[in-house]
Amino acid sequence: MHCGNYSRFASRRDVLARTAYGIGAAALHALLGGSQAAAAPRLFPNFAPRAKRVIFLFQAGGPSHLDLLDYKPEIKDRFNQDIPPSVFGTQRITGMVAQQDRFPIAPTMYGFGQRGKSGMWLSDLLPHTGKVADEICLLRAMHTEAINHDPAITFIQSGSQLPGRPSIGAWVDYGLGSENQNLPAFVVLNSLPSNGMADQGLLSRLWGAGFLPSRYQGVQFRSAGDPVLQLSDPPGITRERRRTLLDGLAQLNGQLHDRVGDPEIETRIAQYEMAFRMQASVPELADTSGEPDHIHELYGEDSRKPGTFASNCLLARRLAERNVRFIQLFHRGWDHHGGLTEKIPALARDTDQASAGLILDLKQRGMLDDTLVIWGGEFGRTPYAQGPLKPDNYGRDHHGRVFSMWMAGGGLKKGYTHGSSDDFGFNVAEGGVHIHDLQATILHLLGIDHQKLTYEFQGRRFRLTDVEGSVVKEVLA
Amino acid sequence: MEKCLIVLLMGACGIANAAVDYGRDVRPILSENCFLCHGQDAKKRMAGLRLDSFEGATAQRAGRAALVPGKLEASEIYARITAEPSKRMPPVYSNRTLTPEQVTTLKRWIESGGAYSKHWAFVPPQRPAMPQPRIDAFVRKRLEAEGLKPNPPAAPGAWLRRVSLDLTGLPPSLDELDSFAKEVATRGEAAYTAAVDRLLASPRYGERMAMDWMDVARYADTHGFNNDSARSMWRWRDWVIDSFNANMPYDRFITEQLAGDLLPNPTMNQRIATGFGRNHVINSEGGIIDEEYRVEYVTDRVRTLGMAWLGLTLECAHCHDHKFDPITQRDHYRFYAFFNNVPELGEDGRVTNAVPLMPAPTSEQQMRIAELQDRIARLTPPDQFHEQQRNAGTTPGGAVWQYSCASACTPGETSPKPGVPVSKRKPLTFSAWINPGESDTNVALLSAMDYSVNPVATTYGKGMEFRLVNGELEFRFGDRFPAYEIRVRSQGANFKPGQWRHVALTYDGAEGKTSMRAETSWVRLFVDGREVGVKILNEGFTLPDEKSDKPSPTVFRIGWDNAAKSQRYSGLLDQIAFWPRVLTDDEIAGLVDKAGIPDKEKPLQSSRKELFAIQRKIPTVMVMQEMATPRETHVLLRGGYNTPGEKVEPGVPEALLGAWPVGAPKNRLGLAQWLTKPDHPLTARVVVNRFWQQVFGLGIVKTSDNFGLQGESPSHPELLDWLALEFIDSGWNVKALMKQMVLSATYRQDASASPEMFTRDPENRLLARGPRFRLPGELIRDQALFLSGLLKNRLGGPSVFPYQTKDLYKGIVVAADIPGTKYIESQGDDLYRRSLYTFWKRTVPHPTMTVFDVPDREVCTVRRSVTNTPLQALTLLNEPIFVEAARKVAERAYREGGSDTGARLEFLFRLATGRKARAPELSVLRKTFEQMLSQFTADQTGARALLAVGESTSDQAIPVNELAAYAAVANMVLNMDEVITKG
Repeated sequence: MHCGNYSRFASRRDVLARTAYGIGAAALHALLGGSQAAAAPRLFPNFAPRAKRVIFLFQAGGPSHLDLLDYKPEIKDRFNQDIPPSVFGTQRITGMVAQQDRFPIAPTMYGFGQRGKSGMWLSDLLPHTGKVADEICLLRAMHTEAINHDPAITFIQSGSQLPGRPSIGAWVDYGLGSENQNLPAFVVLNSLPSNGMADQGLLSRLWGAGFLPSRYQGVQFRSAGDPVLQLSDPPGITRERRRTLLDGLAQLNGQLHDRVGDPEIETRIAQYEMAFRMQASVPELADTSGEPDHIHELYGEDSRKPGTFASNCLLARRLAERNVRFIQLFHRGWDHHGGLTEKIPALARDTDQASAGLILDLKQRGMLDDTLVIWGGEFGRTPYAQGPLKPDNYGRDHHGRVFSMWMAGGGLKKGYTHGSSDDFGFNVAEGGVHIHDLQATILHLLGIDHQKLTYEFQGRRFRLTDVEGSVVKEVLA
Repeated sequence: MEKCLIVLLMGACGIANAAVDYGRDVRPILSENCFLCHGQDAKKRMAGLRLDSFEGATAQRAGRAALVPGKLEASEIYARITAEPSKRMPPVYSNRTLTPEQVTTLKRWIESGGAYSKHWAFVPPQRPAMPQPRIDAFVRKRLEAEGLKPNPPAAPGAWLRRVSLDLTGLPPSLDELDSFAKEVATRGEAAYTAAVDRLLASPRYGERMAMDWMDVARYADTHGFNNDSARSMWRWRDWVIDSFNANMPYDRFITEQLAGDLLPNPTMNQRIATGFGRNHVINSEGGIIDEEYRVEYVTDRVRTLGMAWLGLTLECAHCHDHKFDPITQRDHYRFYAFFNNVPELGEDGRVTNAVPLMPAPTSEQQMRIAELQDRIARLTPPDQFHEQQRNAGTTPGGAVWQYSCASACTPGETSPKPGVPVSKRKPLTFSAWINPGESDTNVALLSAMDYSVNPVATTYGKGMEFRLVNGELEFRFGDRFPAYEIRVRSQGANFKPGQWRHVALTYDGAEGKTSMRAETSWVRLFVDGREVGVKILNEGFTLPDEKSDKPSPTVFRIGWDNAAKSQRYSGLLDQIAFWPRVLTDDEIAGLVDKAGIPDKEKPLQSSRKELFAIQRKIPTVMVMQEMATPRETHVLLRGGYNTPGEKVEPGVPEALLGAWPVGAPKNRLGLAQWLTKPDHPLTARVVVNRFWQQVFGLGIVKTSDNFGLQGESPSHPELLDWLALEFIDSGWNVKALMKQMVLSATYRQDASASPEMFTRDPENRLLARGPRFRLPGELIRDQALFLSGLLKNRLGGPSVFPYQTKDLYKGIVVAADIPGTKYIESQGDDLYRRSLYTFWKRTVPHPTMTVFDVPDREVCTVRRSVTNTPLQALTLLNEPIFVEAARKVAERAYREGGSDTGARLEFLFRLATGRKARAPELSVLRKTFEQMLSQFTADQTGARALLAVGESTSDQAIPVNELAAYAAVANMVLNMDEVITKG
């Protein structure tokens, strides 16, 4: 449905005059993709938001909570002992360890220490994160039913283990719309690990629109070539020539609109103008060469290399500055079934400084208060070893019964640890946060009641949180 | 703004409201607001109250009833929907509230007797009382009721463009436009009929129709999920195209896809059709729980059946009774039981197709195979090898392992250590003499495969094996039986008990090849020194990289395998040998006869070589198959794969949707017969509604994916019923249905309207104007290819890889080098094929398609969104294929348009839009062209750069500055709303 008025117009200038200024979210949304499908009635936010935007630093593959975020001194001396059956319970084990005849405990070989005024226990693998411990809200009792990558990552991103549902960024875009006329509301940035061992793949459904109109799908920003696909004019078409051609196009479309009357044509004219603006705004955004050295130092030297996690963190801040609503990063390579101790230091190095740098950078710009930053993967890893167990090397299988994530920024307690796992880091001891609870909490911080953000599809009202989820009140500031 | 919201709240605009009708007015309110807690799901029912039936609503409960017909005050429903907020229904926590209008509707309904009626879609379609039923008669009736008049017809050329796009997916050529204009002038109405007949007879028709069905059938060229490796289902896709082109009756179209394999003596095509049931995503992620995913596949078949032909969300009853529709969880699992007997695995498809699959030669291959077989039969001398020749051959040196038993080896032994060094990437030749026993119908000759563990374990069936199966030699080699392996069987060898015969096999290995998997074409089988034909039963395994490919010493069980209850070989074996290289054909012939292949056999050899080369390259397709012993089906409690409940038999909700046909088998074939019964309430309605949607943009039932209680009522119920019944009476004739629609005056209307009309009926539900919609993504690209003359019209074949941004997969696909992780751009003609042939990778679909709303095909989709975004603009302006098309359009304008600028611009405009440019339009074109020309005259480098985009060559005879200017203008014109819209 289109909401413009239908007076005739003769030139692009008229269209621009009507579309460029003073537009509320709903109307702007129509511009960003308005079509026959009705725009969502603007019911959100339901209450005052604590965060205006989200930066989700997703760690794909399943980082080991036991080596990074969840200190378990109780099993330090239980090297190679079996996990007690009472703890093991009815664990759904994956096909990869189903043939294993025992499940020996692999205590972490890394040191942990208390960081910040809050005394938060963090691994020595995360020195920079340690420095921002007092900004962090650590969730130590996350849990998920999924035990394999595809279902688990699909679950945390879309609220369902199976394909077909909209991703969280698409839901937020659908609910809140954009506050930037020149950029998409939902942007995705992917990075590969520096050790080159990416293992598991990503899926475009992780930023897909599912059954929502496809305009809500995330737009992938790329580190090589055009930052957005087909952003550059073809060779030989200068900006000036493109402008001339678009002026001609607007006139042709305008004449057609006058005769046919279909408001869709007006929307199309506006979309071409937005495309033209994006051609300027996206390269400007993606160009970090003007960032001063001290900023690059904050995020780490990798931030000068396009396509790294550090560079994406810096881009995330630039996107956040421009009020892009949902900024989704994926960093791959955390799937450490074997040789974990050879791999995890590299992954920690890839992400530690840049994640912490992002927090500090947002803070010094006064943006941390209304930006929600999330760090974590689709599940954790088993306290027992997969494959051969040595004191200084071991692998860990997928583990969903308890794992850790951290969040920071808009509306959250600082230097706070919520929930805990049992002595083995195997089960939730207290303060369990289910994936749906996390999603409900993210929406809550954005001012959205997760039970009210619904979309009717095939006769049923669907939610990101399906029929579950409760806001984790304990973490709210 | 406010105007919009009001229209939204009123729902479908302008629909007249007469007496309260339960089905149309009341049930939607009750369904949306009450049934969640007071519906048929007994487990979630609150206060024991049911409002989805008259009996339930009028039942006395504590002296009162929810509904007392005609008595408002006595009816608890009314009391509760008007109660003070704390007691009001629906309750606050439900997030649902009734509008004052809805309360009034319920009030009027109770007052008028509170009658219930069966949901319209569950009552078989009725012949409407209309004296001369035609599409237009039904549409006009409604328009009159609304006080509206239909639009005048569109200009003939506009109609021709519209109908060409709808029936073939391509616009008309200028010649077609010209001759149609003349035809209309001379023959009038007959010209329209002739044009439709011409379009329906075009092979492009089948391609256009297949496109929408590929969404419904969730067709893709990869398996989906994490690994998302390549699969080969294009033989099924081509079956769909052929079926539409041949105008296969739609009831057969349903039957063959659901149950082609169960038809008496099924043809190969009928079995290919069942690929429909296997198009779902398949997970090959290591470590998944096999049964969890197998259950998902069966569930997906139920979902797709429901969505495609019943218009019902059957999957909503996967975990509990359906919340809205009268479908119980038990009903769901009775449907499920039909699809639960496929011999498949949960984890499969890492390499190529998943089991069960079948070789599906193309018609060209079939013809050539028949020719060659005929020729070989004529040339082949009578069998000349006999037992006494067992020692007449020459054994080449260099064998890594030889095992000659005194008289013959005894089954039950194990070959001596250290064994044969077997490596996946290295070549190998095997040779032996065999003399089978009477009972050897399926036995191992040499087995180094592990069958002792659970068949769903990842180590099951890893290794190498030579078997004798029904008188043929079968070779198995790979990682996991039957999923990840090479499995080929000889054809026509016909080993008989008591006869000594020689067998040999060569395996090329990966040396010098770029393939990411071991391929069946690397295996050749020889009997008595001559190569024999093979049948491909499975297609290969993933190759390790060179570094990790270590030869493993392989010890064979001689004449037995280690499966429980397996049968032993009862015959004889002799002179077993392996070589770490591929022996030549002559060497293999020499194993049997020192003389090798006689010269007179050489012509025969070339035919045989060609035949076997074809056989090894026959594409496969995944198909449905029934297991000899069907699996038991249980209701899965809460939908869990590991929580079986009550056992159920296959069946359908007969009370709701009609009786099972007398005598029909309780299998998929019976299910197809039930679906296509003439009195089935849903099938024909759902199908005609979807074809209507394809042509008119929206279905008569807008929710083409949901005919249940939560779906929208039809805008023209009588029309829907009439179309459905006509369709059945016509013998489910799809072409006749399409013809009827596109020739209707309703379809032929002009698509323009006043702003008031667009506001009153934005979606054109009333059909007071012609359809006007942005083209589907595939057609936008196809049209550009067609207008530019780049389009290559080859029908069918393996999917192709047109231009795609370099490194698009980088950073997304799995690290392992499995098939489907690399996008290797096609060359030549395949860059310019129709878009339905573009390789469809589920986790990274082609962006030019997804930007234009083509769904990712992870699940069945029957309705696409139609959006309008800046990314679409960027794609149309800048994507190389569109830039290249603009250049080729410019060349055509220059060469074919005339000799001056005005004529050429007019040509260009008409080519793209199908109509003459108006004066103001032409002046925009001219002004823009002149600006571009002066710019490109000053910037020849820029002009050349623009003309260099794309693989096709540029016409050197045209001055560069002019061609660039025309190309720029063509780029602008191809971006016009009118061009990318069917209007």
